[in-house]
Amino acid sequence: MSDAGDILTVSGLSVAYGASRALFDIDMRVRRGEVVGCVGRNGAGKTTLLKSIAGFLKPSSGSIECDGKSLLGLPAYAIAGMGLKYVPQDKRVFSDLTVRENLELGSYASRDYDWTPVISYFPKLKSLMDRKAGYLSGGERQMLMIGRAILGRPSLMLVDEPTEGLAPSIVLQLKEVFRELSKTTTLVIVEQNLPLVCAIADRVYALNEGRIMAELRERADVTPESCERYL
Amino acid sequence: MVDLQLLFSSVVFGFSLGSIYFLLSIGLSLCFGLMRIISLDQLLYYSIGAYFAYSVGVLVDNFWLGVACGMAIGGLAGLAVERLVFLRIYERDITFSMITSFGILIGGIGVIKLFWGVVPRPVPVPIETQVSILDTEISVYRLVVIAIAGLVYVGILLFLNRTIIGKAIRAGIEDVEHVEGLGINVYRLFSITFIMAGALSALAGALHAPLIMVDPQMGLEVLAFAFMIVIIGGLGSIKGTLVSSLLVGQIVSIGSLIYAPLALMAPFAAMIVILLYRPTGLYGSPLLKR
Repeated sequence: MSDAGDILTVSGLSVAYGASRALFDIDMRVRRGEVVGCVGRNGAGKTTLLKSIAGFLKPSSGSIECDGKSLLGLPAYAIAGMGLKYVPQDKRVFSDLTVRENLELGSYASRDYDWTPVISYFPKLKSLMDRKAGYLSGGERQMLMIGRAILGRPSLMLVDEPTEGLAPSIVLQLKEVFRELSKTTTLVIVEQNLPLVCAIADRVYALNEGRIMAELRERADVTPESCERYL
Repeated sequence: MVDLQLLFSSVVFGFSLGSIYFLLSIGLSLCFGLMRIISLDQLLYYSIGAYFAYSVGVLVDNFWLGVACGMAIGGLAGLAVERLVFLRIYERDITFSMITSFGILIGGIGVIKLFWGVVPRPVPVPIETQVSILDTEISVYRLVVIAIAGLVYVGILLFLNRTIIGKAIRAGIEDVEHVEGLGINVYRLFSITFIMAGALSALAGALHAPLIMVDPQMGLEVLAFAFMIVIIGGLGSIKGTLVSSLLVGQIVSIGSLIYAPLALMAPFAAMIVILLYRPTGLYGSPLLKR
């Protein structure tokens, strides 16, 4: 049961790829303004969870509600249009398009043509506007993906392993960006980088083999050591 | 020794044939690139374009009005098929779209036979003037066909590079799931692509009609060439489709000049050689599964 403060409520969610079940009876709640971390090893079901919420996977059972409205059966573009943006983990920008064109697509989708917040979070993108996105480094691609997603000021962002494979300096920059973003946007961040997620998350769900093993509710409990115990 | 005038004439013939192949194949290539479907029904719109060019030409004695009508009907037919059939099978395996679209093509040929009969029909060449270039008589109509294909190519490039819908289609060719994740209704993009593809296939058929006899099987006759062009050029690549269309047009034309059976065999040999060196085609990139 969701309450008025919840922006996202997931109840009894199960997802399967053919005969292979990836998520078992997941219950999850995200309150407006929170930063919620999802941690787990490879194959724990973290990406499957985010993709199911974002509408890319069809759950076999359970419910997903955003602001009290069911997301089940809605196409992914409609869910994104409701202000729920998914930033995938593969850093796959549209490589044949320039940075500017990538951002234009974000603007077109969200009807938000003010790129000031994007440039203020990622000043480097300004000098890369005319570069084909395929020539960007991993960090620059991540900046572009997050920048594209924040256009339209989404109410909830689902960010999938944003720091995977990135240089420490970029990871530090992203940490600050997420801190800033969390002042205006609710964030669900899937990460294997426990120090990072514990530094920014208010609560953490620990997943293992498609099940939620623990929910660390108190800010004081959200430490890499306590997360490790459940992985 | 090949006569130089004959060779020049064959080159122009090859370019005009390649231009028609380009207009025909572009829809097939775009549909695969964006939607990961094999849309053999494009060959039906090619026939529809040809038959409308014939019928409107007979009725009002205006070939170009027939071309325009054919394009409109081809585009609308493409949209109808997309909405009624493909929309339900986008998520299925690619072979499903191939078999389904082949069924639509065969069914469509039956409808054409019903309305126009099975007898091939001649379409008068709308421009009968010849010009002398390098002491060779060249049909102006063939030059017009080449010019139209060139204009269409430039138009498609402008559409894909300068309009937001075009950019979304280019992005979708790379990764349609990420386009959807931004909040863009990809199904609308699919419909726009189908309308464009259907209209261009019909344009190919209409322009080809005066150069051949229109007959119900004409779509099936170019099926192998259309497939080959899309594969040689690289699936989803506009530039690749143009280059491979012109290449195949020249191979057919020059091949038939050297030894007639080469016109049919040589393009396939060229495809095999190209695929051995570039398995993704001339301008193809490893495409992601939808």
